[in-house]
Amino acid sequence: MSTEESPHVTRRTTRLSSSYTPNAIESAAKSINLPSLTLRDLVFGKEETLTLEGLISSLPGRRNQILEILRLLGPVNSPVSPLFVYGGVSTGKTSTILQVFRHLNRPFVYSSCRTCYSARQLFDNILNQLLLHRKSEINDYSSAKKCEKQADFINLLKEALVGVVDGLKGNMGKSSRSKKSEGCVNGSMVYLIFDSLELVRVWDKSATILPLLFKLHDILKVPDLGLIFISSSSLDTYHWDTGFVDPIPVYFPDYTEEGLKQIFMRNQSNSKLLSTFLDVVLKPFCRVTRRLDELSTALSPLFKKYCEPLDDLDDIPDEETRRQLFTCLQPHIGPALNEIFRVTSEPSVEAGIKNNLKRKNPLKKFGNDSIDDIDFHMSTSAKYLLISAFLASRNPATLDASFFDSTGGSANQKKKRKASEKSRDLKEASEQEQFMKGPGTFPLERLLAIFQCLTSSEEYSLEEDEDSQEKMSLGGDFGENSLMSDILLQVSSLCSANFLTKGGSCPLEGSTRYRSTVSEDLALKVARSLKFPLSKYLYRR
Amino acid sequence: MVQRTAEEALVLIRKRLCDPDYIFSVFSDSPDSNYSKLKFIVSSSVTEACNNSILLLGPRGCGKIAVLDLVLEDLLKEYPDMISVIKLNGLLHCDDNCALKEIARQLCIEHELMFSKMASSDDNSQFMIAMLRECGLAHKTVVFVLDEFDLFAQGKQRLLYSLLDAMQSVSSQAVVIGVSCRLDADQLLEKRVRSRFSHRKLLFLPPQKDDLHRLLKHILLLPVDSSLPHDYVTDFNSRISNILADRRFIEITDKLIDSDSTVSNFVRFLFSAVSCIDFKSGYMTLENFKSALSTIQRQPKLDCLKDCSILELYIMVCMKRLEVKEQASYNFNSVMKEYKSIHDSFQTSDIYSRNVCLRAFEHLLDRQLIEFADRGHNQFIEFRSVKLLISPAELHQGLKSNRSCPVILQKLLETNCATI
Repeated sequence: MSTEESPHVTRRTTRLSSSYTPNAIESAAKSINLPSLTLRDLVFGKEETLTLEGLISSLPGRRNQILEILRLLGPVNSPVSPLFVYGGVSTGKTSTILQVFRHLNRPFVYSSCRTCYSARQLFDNILNQLLLHRKSEINDYSSAKKCEKQADFINLLKEALVGVVDGLKGNMGKSSRSKKSEGCVNGSMVYLIFDSLELVRVWDKSATILPLLFKLHDILKVPDLGLIFISSSSLDTYHWDTGFVDPIPVYFPDYTEEGLKQIFMRNQSNSKLLSTFLDVVLKPFCRVTRRLDELSTALSPLFKKYCEPLDDLDDIPDEETRRQLFTCLQPHIGPALNEIFRVTSEPSVEAGIKNNLKRKNPLKKFGNDSIDDIDFHMSTSAKYLLISAFLASRNPATLDASFFDSTGGSANQKKKRKASEKSRDLKEASEQEQFMKGPGTFPLERLLAIFQCLTSSEEYSLEEDEDSQEKMSLGGDFGENSLMSDILLQVSSLCSANFLTKGGSCPLEGSTRYRSTVSEDLALKVARSLKFPLSKYLYRR
Repeated sequence: MVQRTAEEALVLIRKRLCDPDYIFSVFSDSPDSNYSKLKFIVSSSVTEACNNSILLLGPRGCGKIAVLDLVLEDLLKEYPDMISVIKLNGLLHCDDNCALKEIARQLCIEHELMFSKMASSDDNSQFMIAMLRECGLAHKTVVFVLDEFDLFAQGKQRLLYSLLDAMQSVSSQAVVIGVSCRLDADQLLEKRVRSRFSHRKLLFLPPQKDDLHRLLKHILLLPVDSSLPHDYVTDFNSRISNILADRRFIEITDKLIDSDSTVSNFVRFLFSAVSCIDFKSGYMTLENFKSALSTIQRQPKLDCLKDCSILELYIMVCMKRLEVKEQASYNFNSVMKEYKSIHDSFQTSDIYSRNVCLRAFEHLLDRQLIEFADRGHNQFIEFRSVKLLISPAELHQGLKSNRSCPVILQKLLETNCATI
């Protein structure tokens, strides 16, 4: 999920990583000697526990939530109602819960519905952890118990829980007698944590699994069990016809600007510089998004840019340099705002900025179409196919003749008449329809026909040094089977690359219909790379 | 020292709150309660060795299962060795084979027999009927508890039929208790099943106000004869009584009851109030209850709106404007058109590229503030028609509560709403 969560979420792997050795043969021998898991392994990691101050300072901006969760979890050995922790993406839900348990040093079982992608996986995962079972070569990486049905799961879970709780109580008795509480588990409550619960809604059989999870507390009737659900969407988005008794909600709001700043400032060397940078940058960016993961990817290249004019990064900037730096950065903020969510290779962003700077009006330009070259390779025939598919999707089929026939080409201009009131209304309505319907569908025959028209008219303008194979396939004789199949192959590869989608078959003709999925920007770019006058062929209302 | 005792008291109250049997035992003493009625029905069929069936109906969180558990516990004490209880849950055993297997398993445990996992469902069904006969001969009543009864009524209802049919014979002695939160649960039954079912129903309703008051005292007052120091207990109890009599407290509970008066909701409220207790003083205050009310009665959509970025608010206002213009359906493209037209006419500073807007649009989908209106699967997000999931009033309130919301947005929304 977010960058700051990643070190904590991988609890299982860190636990296993201790057993990792580079030598494969050695590892086989080693894994047999692995100490079997004990109840001690149910608490967070092997590190020393956190103090409350440490906990709060390690998660900036989450003080209220931490205190609320601590209050709800209560003192040692106090039973707890099911909790429902929710809040937007990357608001620190998972890490807060896990760190709270690290602080409390209480045993818990964490299972994410993202990694356990089906009910069976989830059940297996929970049981394995509860039964202190480790998948290894000895047991052929099998699970502790086989359970396919929910009924079996409940029976096994109850058995396992009672076992664990008894074990914990026994431990407690021992440790209190021997007064050796160090390194021991706190209390006899076991907490089950279900992460990313919102994903369960789209599982098959979710109609029975979700209410089951929400009712787990009532069905199991184990008082020493705590349930914590973590979800990115609120309770009212979980529908079930006969409902369920709601758990207690704990809401994680998005980080405020102040909180975001604190998070970015964590563990940074040149904090003064970063802080002045953030003062400038955070405000405009927060107008677009307050999601930490997106902001951190957007801000890191910008910060590099900010630091560029400086020689010594450890310098504490004074008022003058600060202003200078800001004027340097100013023109970059606007374009960067429009690039926030784009996953792109670094140089293209730079090129875009430079282009924009040249034009001196970076913000007035809506959209960023200055990146002229397409950043993937495609054969010429595939490009033509792409363009013809685009045209077939955008243009009405009835106008094909007037656009592509060598005789009917000029008919286009004759049609221009003065728009009357009514026709303007009609135009608006059809525009609306186009907005709603999206690209149209077309049969394969139409695509091939347009493709032939395009290539036959362009064949003379093709450069001479292209190899004969391509020339033949483009302009040449289409009657030949081998070449035809080549084009068909291109069509299918365009389909698998998702430039075209296969729609449902037409009820009258029964043939498959295609739809072009490329945006106009991309089509124009491709056309430009071919020096093909696309706009001449595009029907505009 | 105070902290220690307060902690102990807190654990005690939390234990009570998490134990439904304790909560509902307060309602068991009055003669016309569901507890007494149910107990009478079940105990009479045990003593008179007859078959019976009954439905416990009522909204979720009114203590159907808890009262039933109390009754069964009492009866097991009263008539040891005469009752065996089989519990099924519709969520787990709505599949007939699975249910029969579970019945066989529980019967085996009850009578200390070997249970074979490999037995077919036919074997299990025969085993069940044979066991019913045996139990009948030994004058032992088998009580079947079917939780989420409505789920058993899905499909062919073979399990219900075979259970109720087996009860038609003289030799058997069984009670079937269905528990459901669907009030029309008996209407779901097939004719052949319904005719074999006695139409006895017990309705569980949310408690009245005075009952809730009794419940409050039952849960919050500490016992005098406990390990807690005597002074602390009397002090604690007198403070609780003061709070309970307070007019402001009654206002709080009224607000809570207005939205949902089931016991479970009330218990949730108490749980979060109790967990707010301040260990330094060690006593509960009215503030605890106030803050609990606000955590229980959250408005998730408004919270979401409060978190939205400016761009996301813009998109929602655009959608609202389109809705007011009585555009039948709209999608991302039309929203973008509206967004641009707003920018053109008002020269706002928040103008972003299409990609950025699309991502903000996706965030809104994630937050479930908007939703696709169609079920198109192979279409693109831009072209799928969408709808807002919040009312204009909510949007208005959300804009107001969002601290950084530009004034122009509120104006846009207001002028727009005024034109209709």
